[in-house]
Amino acid sequence: MSSKRPIDWALYAVFVVLIMLAPLVMDSFWLNRVAKYLVYGMLGAAIALSWGYAGILNLGQGLFFGAGAYMLAMSLKLASQTSLQQGSDKPVPDFMLWNAEPGAPTELCCINKASFLWLPFQSQWFGVAMGLVLPVALAGILGTIVFRKRISGVFVSIITLALVLLVRLVVIDAQPITNGFNGLTDLGWFKVGDLEFDPYVVPTYYLVAVSLSLVLVSARLLVETRAGIILQAVRDDQNRARYLGFDVPSYQTFFFAVSAAIAGFAGMLYVIVSEFASPTFMDLTFSITMVVWAAVGGRSSILGACIGAILINVISATVSETEGFAEAWKAVIGLIFVLVVLYLPRGLGGLAHDLVDRFVVRKRGGGERALRVTSTSSQAAE
Amino acid sequence: MLEVLFIGLSLGSILLLVALGLAITYGAMGVINMAHGEMVMVGAYVTVLSGIYLHTNIFVAIPLAFIVTALLGLLIERVVVRRLYGRLLDTLLATWGIAILIQQAVRLEFGLSFFGIHIQGLGPGLQNVSVPEVLQGTFTIAGADLNRYRAFIILVTVILSLLTWFIVYRTTMGTQVRAIIRNPKMAAACGIDVTRVNALTFALGSGLAGVAGVMMSGFKTVFPDMGTPMVVDGFLVVVMGGVGSLLGSVFSAGILGEINGLVAAATNDILARAVVFGVVIAIIVLKPKGLFALKGR
Repeated sequence: MSSKRPIDWALYAVFVVLIMLAPLVMDSFWLNRVAKYLVYGMLGAAIALSWGYAGILNLGQGLFFGAGAYMLAMSLKLASQTSLQQGSDKPVPDFMLWNAEPGAPTELCCINKASFLWLPFQSQWFGVAMGLVLPVALAGILGTIVFRKRISGVFVSIITLALVLLVRLVVIDAQPITNGFNGLTDLGWFKVGDLEFDPYVVPTYYLVAVSLSLVLVSARLLVETRAGIILQAVRDDQNRARYLGFDVPSYQTFFFAVSAAIAGFAGMLYVIVSEFASPTFMDLTFSITMVVWAAVGGRSSILGACIGAILINVISATVSETEGFAEAWKAVIGLIFVLVVLYLPRGLGGLAHDLVDRFVVRKRGGGERALRVTSTSSQAAE
Repeated sequence: MLEVLFIGLSLGSILLLVALGLAITYGAMGVINMAHGEMVMVGAYVTVLSGIYLHTNIFVAIPLAFIVTALLGLLIERVVVRRLYGRLLDTLLATWGIAILIQQAVRLEFGLSFFGIHIQGLGPGLQNVSVPEVLQGTFTIAGADLNRYRAFIILVTVILSLLTWFIVYRTTMGTQVRAIIRNPKMAAACGIDVTRVNALTFALGSGLAGVAGVMMSGFKTVFPDMGTPMVVDGFLVVVMGGVGSLLGSVFSAGILGEINGLVAAATNDILARAVVFGVVIAIIVLKPKGLFALKGR
């Protein structure tokens, strides 16, 4: 394990350098696309953290992604030109005005019954804060209930699945404040001081790339801590960990919440890059697709899952440029997926680990052993 | 009020139609078959195609769809699912891949669309099935106008449930299936050919989904993605009812159908579905084993 660690970190370093150098070879259109795929990579990492390390297969990760996305999108919607030109000096989202009852005041406080909820989102940083707080709070509540009741395995998956679909329907039904099926579009740009993050410029790409690098490295450091190791013990045998005296639900809930925070963060970045938030983020297909990325990349490797997500999307984008192949490509994805589960259950990450084991660690392990033998023999000689 | 309850009952029947097959495959084999919805879809397309090419109606399509989807299920079991027994979550992922493959096969007309060949009735578009006249319109009971097709769905569901009950509880194969549900290794030790029974069980479950598809085609538009939401509903019914309990699935489908019908009548369809999801979550959290759990040893 310890001898494999430097190689692991070297791979992280290579990955970070590669994504930092990407702007040198890409035009702004591709830069924007790749930024989106990096966000997907972050989602893959979040899945690997909860699935690979905590053994919690969350089929509703879209809930946290969507929560993060909507929170920031509400702020950016209020910052948009379309909200500032509604006949009031205070911002009002255009869709609220279109559906307002005749005679309703053109004010965010009272244009419809629930619009006051939007008031604090006039501050962009409130949106950013909520984009992290809401997913973490949701995950904390859900995790506490589910893990305290010792629900595990497929039941957690089904609960999270049902929950994301439930929230999706509620969001669609709350049309007056969420714009229903259409979601929030025509968003303004994210601003830090005077710097505006136009989705098609290099700084926005770096915002995403640096965020991803930080998330990957912190997640990797986190699973190496004592808590991370206990978590893996819980994953391997819950009862044994419990008998050893560890408070199992706290560890599970904590990592579930961290995974949710990463997903929420990814949701915010996605809104900055793609300029919309919609209920499709909480579709069943999207949540399962994230799991697919992680499975192909390697469920037990944070970097692997991240690369899996980026790889699949880059290839998809390239292939579907050719007309007619888009649909066929989907079939190929389905096939790849079946094959990966059958023949490569640990994904690309698992494959990489095996290769490293075979070619590097064994050699060096042999060398270390030889060294130890000589040192003990020299001690014996003394 | 009778009308609302009737609609709830028919919604429950639809849920049960999809869930019956899942109750068997998931309960007996420990396979989460995400391609189950695609079996429903294939069943619906069998109805469309048999209408176009054989000029037959929905009644003929029922046995036809059963055979087609059962064979397809057998193939999937042989090629993929067989290698994944005991890896519950992996079956979920692999069958999700299969689901995409089947969807794309229908959408691309088995790849023929690349060569400019088009099969009428397949492809990415929407298809419709016309229902025979006997099943159109309404009939009146106790002053309430009830839809004939909904009544037909309820009837078919009752027949299929009884048939499934008979197979599981009154035949040799059913006894073997139940033995496998309780303990696969012990069943194998008693001389049951677990591999063969599993293959047949999977085929039976898929065939039931095919019949569900025929019934769906009568009142829903038929298109390649139609199965995805159904498989989720089916799973919720099975898990809420208790894995491996047929009676549990029947009850939970009935309860969820009525809740859906009542809430939809009071508010709207979207909220009704949201409430259904909420009820399922609450029940799984309170009783993770489901309403009618098998008492294991």
